[in-house]
Amino acid sequence: MKILLIEDDEAIISLLTKSLTAHRYVVDAVRDGEMGWVYGTTFEYDLIVMDIMLPKVDGMTLCQRFRAEEYTIPIVLLTAQDSSTAKIQGLNAGADDYVIKPFDVDELIARIRALLRRCSATPSLLMSWGDLLLDPVTCEVTYNGQPLNLTTKEYELIELLLQDSRHVMSNDEILDRLWSSDEFPAEATVRSHIRRLRYKLQEAGAPHDFIGTLYGRGYYLKSFDQPIAPLPQPAPEAAPSYATLDANRDSSQTLQYATFLNETWLTTQPHCLEQVEILSQAVQALQAGRLTEQLQQQAHHIAHKLVGTLGVFGLTQGEHLARRLEDLLNGAQLSQPEQGIALENLVSLLQQEIQSTPTLPRQYAVAQYSLAMLIIDADAGFTQALAEIASQRGIKSAIAPTLEVAYQSLASSTPDVIVLRLSDPTQRRECLQTLADYLPKIPILTVANQDNLNQRLEVSRWGGTFLLEQSVTFEQIVTYAVGLVQPLSADAKVMFVDDDDLWLRSLPALLEPWRFKVTTLSDPQQFWNVLQSVSPDALVLDIKMPDIDGLELCQVLRSDPQWQQLPVLFVSALEDAKTQNKAFVVGADDYLCKPVMGDDLAGRILNRLRRIKSFTHRSG
Amino acid sequence: MKIKRVLIIDDEESIQTVVRFGIAMAAGWEVLTASSGPQGIHTAQSELIDVILLDVMMPDMDGIATFHALKTYPKTEVIPVIFLTAKAQTSEKNHFNDLGVSGVITKPFNSLDLPSQISKILHWELQS
Repeated sequence: MKILLIEDDEAIISLLTKSLTAHRYVVDAVRDGEMGWVYGTTFEYDLIVMDIMLPKVDGMTLCQRFRAEEYTIPIVLLTAQDSSTAKIQGLNAGADDYVIKPFDVDELIARIRALLRRCSATPSLLMSWGDLLLDPVTCEVTYNGQPLNLTTKEYELIELLLQDSRHVMSNDEILDRLWSSDEFPAEATVRSHIRRLRYKLQEAGAPHDFIGTLYGRGYYLKSFDQPIAPLPQPAPEAAPSYATLDANRDSSQTLQYATFLNETWLTTQPHCLEQVEILSQAVQALQAGRLTEQLQQQAHHIAHKLVGTLGVFGLTQGEHLARRLEDLLNGAQLSQPEQGIALENLVSLLQQEIQSTPTLPRQYAVAQYSLAMLIIDADAGFTQALAEIASQRGIKSAIAPTLEVAYQSLASSTPDVIVLRLSDPTQRRECLQTLADYLPKIPILTVANQDNLNQRLEVSRWGGTFLLEQSVTFEQIVTYAVGLVQPLSADAKVMFVDDDDLWLRSLPALLEPWRFKVTTLSDPQQFWNVLQSVSPDALVLDIKMPDIDGLELCQVLRSDPQWQQLPVLFVSALEDAKTQNKAFVVGADDYLCKPVMGDDLAGRILNRLRRIKSFTHRSG
Repeated sequence: MKIKRVLIIDDEESIQTVVRFGIAMAAGWEVLTASSGPQGIHTAQSELIDVILLDVMMPDMDGIATFHALKTYPKTEVIPVIFLTAKAQTSEKNHFNDLGVSGVITKPFNSLDLPSQISKILHWELQS
């Protein structure tokens, strides 16, 4: 975890840096508001601690500025002003917490930890991957119950990998997140830390490739659940490790399986809660000093069952809680009421975990559609439920409770489909009319609660599709909405020029869910011929290539009027602002830094295609 | 490869359901289910089964007892048995191997992977 400290008092800087570092945070300290802005907007932090009284730009203003620019990073304000008005001002400025000087360092750290937990995407206490467990409160890491003795950097490294276990972390990303910006470690440093970490994991019984390497791209945690029969290795010509990313499995199959798991979970969840209830009875009996051997055995059995069931449904956190319960209930009879406290905590955590999971985590799901949907309706119950169902099918929704919000949203991004359910006929008419004028090609699905000819006539007059609310389910609404959209990516021709053969070969599998027609070219000399014969809808260029670099290719392309509208994206390992600037100067539309994941890449290509689409809609 | 018939014996109905769906979807195999040892033995005797997936921990008659019972009947003793268990410790796996089971698959699993895992354990040629 990386923290930016903006403070002009040297004593506080050194005190906080020391204590935070001792708690395994990486700290960057800057001494005025201006530097705070520069650092906060340049590097990636998990949290900012800032004083209110700062040279150049004060903390309040700085805080407002971060929020105005849509930085959502948690901010803790430090101040000597102990008054409730100051506190309210601070919170109004967008701070998340407010600590008054002089403060107790331990309290500040506890608040920081609580904030990070609240804001983290995985708010759970324990982090786990297979048999690896990390407890952020005690900073303990175990593998299959065996404690790992890690250095601070090794701990941070494994924590980082665990935070986003589906993500491949590049060397640069790791350097950026784990080293403060005044250190200049070489890439080799990351490699040597990874090596030592692997060694320690292996010592504790983990497989040697627990941390996998994706050649040229970075590190990631390998799938762990097939110790006996590993998945068949992908064919040698395929990219090395995409099997772990499920890309080599038919994505519609994975999606159907995820949907089925979700449906089955609806009936399994109450059953699991009944089982937890029996665990809870056993705990109560233990605390009352009357736990029988038979009841303990039954509870042990149930905990074991829950490990398997929750695991199969992908509830990793619940699985681990159940496993700990199973261990505690195993063996000698429990008789000490104190033992009940630990069990009671685990049981209540487990119950919360099961209860708070109405739908399963999306670990099996695949973003298959990558569609954007705008839902216009004042009824939050309807819009949120629809958005939830849509998101399970990989559709991103924006919700607009009023027409004003809808127009604002349409001004900034163009959805693929609009679902309109305004009960007020005047508003609905206005909306249909405006949309028909402004964005005539975007399909509109009107959900109405009354069935009469006039309503139907009005909807069809403005080119909308009519659905009667009483006769459809949410799933059907989503299905109809998807049906109205000709997937933008289907059959869009995308041409990639890159001298990295390995990467080129991985592209078809990487982009398979989006059904692009992919053309790859590793020899820039052939560029013009291939371009003319393929006539792509979008072009993706590498920068560094032998003989002719990508920037030159882009220049050549833009010098011909015929190709001035073609979306050009650069994908390069070069991250410096100068190169990026150059790319935009020669006519790039977007710039991505390697490593790039499939959905990022597809999303950015789709964005460009969408612009072209709405442009042609408006002009045509 | 002909369509395989798998029998899963597990007292958790949701596991039966998910396994049946996953295996049918990934390989098109037929999956029969049983919720207890005795019920599973009965099914194994009356149906033609290619492999049994057997949960280790079940009430009354556990997986190990069920396995021993299966080995006492001529009709069922030849059917390969793969244990399903949430326990993955090496000592236990060795113990299971000593019993003579064909393999162990550890929970949690992704049911879509089961056909390839089973085929690998039993050296079946899996064609997609």
